[in-house]
Amino acid sequence: MLSKQLGQKTVLHGVTMQVAPGELVLLAGRNGAGKSTLLRCLIGAIEPDAGGVQLDGKPILSWQPKARAREVAFVPQDTEVPFEFTGRELVTMGRHPHRGRSETLRAEDVAAVARALQLLDAEAFSERSVITLSGGEQRRIAVARALATEARLLLLDEPTNNLDLEHALQLVVLLRRLADEGHGVLVASHDLNLFAPHCDRVVLLHNGRADVDQPPEEALSRQNVERVFGVRSHQPTKFFPREFRL
Amino acid sequence: MKRKLPFFLVAVLVGVAVLHLSFSRVSPGFSTLLEWMFAWTGATDAVTEPDQFVFASIRTPRMLVAVFGGAALALAGTVMQASFRNPLASPDIIGTAAGAAFGGAVAIVNDWSQVSVLFTPLAALVGAVGVTSLVFVLAGSHGRFSVTNLLLAGVALNTLFGALTSFVVTMALSNYLASSEVLFWLMGGLDNRTWDHALITAGGFVLFTMMVLPRVRELDLLTLRDDSAHSLGVDAAKARRYLVWCACGLTATTVANSGGIAFVGLIVPHLARLMVGPAHRLLLPTAALLGAILMVVSDLGCRVAPAHWNLRLGVVTAIAGAPYFLYLLARQRRGEQL
Repeated sequence: MLSKQLGQKTVLHGVTMQVAPGELVLLAGRNGAGKSTLLRCLIGAIEPDAGGVQLDGKPILSWQPKARAREVAFVPQDTEVPFEFTGRELVTMGRHPHRGRSETLRAEDVAAVARALQLLDAEAFSERSVITLSGGEQRRIAVARALATEARLLLLDEPTNNLDLEHALQLVVLLRRLADEGHGVLVASHDLNLFAPHCDRVVLLHNGRADVDQPPEEALSRQNVERVFGVRSHQPTKFFPREFRL
Repeated sequence: MKRKLPFFLVAVLVGVAVLHLSFSRVSPGFSTLLEWMFAWTGATDAVTEPDQFVFASIRTPRMLVAVFGGAALALAGTVMQASFRNPLASPDIIGTAAGAAFGGAVAIVNDWSQVSVLFTPLAALVGAVGVTSLVFVLAGSHGRFSVTNLLLAGVALNTLFGALTSFVVTMALSNYLASSEVLFWLMGGLDNRTWDHALITAGGFVLFTMMVLPRVRELDLLTLRDDSAHSLGVDAAKARRYLVWCACGLTATTVANSGGIAFVGLIVPHLARLMVGPAHRLLLPTAALLGAILMVVSDLGCRVAPAHWNLRLGVVTAIAGAPYFLYLLARQRRGEQL
C-alpha cells in the first residue's frame, strides 16, 4: 500500500501492484495521475511516505545500488543529455553496474552494448553525437542503455515518445519478446491502442490508486475508460483504431 | 588520435615549462638553464650560485604552482560542469572561488600563515565549501540545477563575498603591508612563490585528483538525469556532493597559493571537450594538461611584459577568458549546445 505526497498533493494513495517475471504490464492514467512518481518509487529513486517496494522479497531501498541496477533497469521520460556523448558511449553507461570502479570495458560489456544497439536498430547512428539525433533516435538510445544493463525487470516511462510508428511497434514487440523470455516489463504509456494488444495486464491509476488491474480487454472496458480518462470509447470503426503489425 | 592527445599535451607542457623557466626580463636565460639542468651529469659546468638560486628557489616553484594550479582549476571546472549537468558551472561562476578568496583574505590579513603555512589554504577551503553549500541550497531544486538558477546564485554570492572580501581589506588598511598583499593576491599572481606554495598546490592537486579519479565513470553518469544515474547504480545526490567537495578542494588550494585566477575553470573544460569529447576518462587528463599549459603561458606573459605594467596573472586569464565566455553565451542564445 504505497503512498507518496509531493508538495501539498497526495500523488499516490495506497497503490498496490506487482510485476512478475514473464509479464508485460501497461501502467496508464491521466496526466498527473502519478505514473512517473510510482515508477520512481519502484526503482527506489524516491522514498514513499507509507508502504514500500519489494524486489525479490527484499525492500528496494536496502539493495546495494549496483546490485539493484543489475536487477532493475529504468528508462525515464526525459532523457536529455547536456554534453555531446555518442550514442554508443551512452549505451555503454548501461554496463556501469557490472563493472568495478577501475575496471576497463570487458568483451562481455562490448557484446552487451552491441546487442542492445542491434535490438533497438540503433547501430547506424550509434557513433553520432546524441545532440545531432532526432527525438526518436535519442529515445531508442535510452532504451538500448536500459537493455545493456541486462536487468531482469524493465521499467519504462513513455518509451514510445517521439518514435515513428515502425519503431514504436518494433519496441512493443521487443518488450513482448523480452517478457516471453522471462523478463518482467512495466511500461507507463498513454498509447493504449499500441500496447494493450500485447500486454498481459493493464493497471489504471486513478485518484492516486491502482483503480484497475486486469487483463487488457477487461481493464479497458467502456466503463473503466470513461471513469478513468473521462472520455467515451467507441467500437472500432472501419478506419480507426487500426491494428498495426510489423 | 584522441587517445594520443594527452601525450602530445604533455610534450607541449614540458616545452612551455622550459620556456617559463628560461624566459624573463632579466638573466639567467636559456643557455644557463640548460647548464643548470645538465650539471649533475657532468656534461656541463656548474652554474653560479646566484643563477642556481634563481632557478631552484624562484622560477621552479613558481612554474610548479602554475602547472598544478592551472591543472587543478581546470579539473575543478570539469568536475563541476558534469556534477551540475551544466556547462556554465565553474568555480568562478558559481562563487566557489569568491568563497575561497574570502577565506584566504581573512587568513592573510590575520597573518595566520605565521602559525602554519597550511592555514591560508585551509581558510580558503572553508570559504569555498561554505559558498558552494549555499549554491546547493539556493540553486538546486529536487537535485537539478538550471543555468538560470546557477548564474543567479553565482552572481549573488560572488557579489556578496566580493563585498565581504573588500570589507576585510578595508578593515586591514591600517596595516599597509597586509592590505597591499591581499590586494595583489586577489588579482591573482605567482610572484614570490616558494617551495611551500608549490608543495601545497601540488599536494592539493594530487590529493583531490586521487579522490576524483576512481569516480570518473560516475562523472559520466551524473551528466544524465538523476533518475537515470540512480537506475544505473549511482546515488546521484551523494556522488554530486562528494565530487563537488573535491572540486572545492582543488579550487581552494589553488586560490590560496595563486589568488584569484579567473576563467581557467570555465573555458578549459570546453576546449578539452572540443578536442576529446565529453567522456571523462579522457576529458579529465586533457583538461588538466590544457589548464596547466594555459596557466604557464599566461604567467610567462606576465613575466615578459614590461615591468612597469605590473601585469597580474588573473588579469591575463580574465582578458583571455571573458571573450570566450561571451561566445558561449552567444552560442546558447542561438540555441546551440555548449
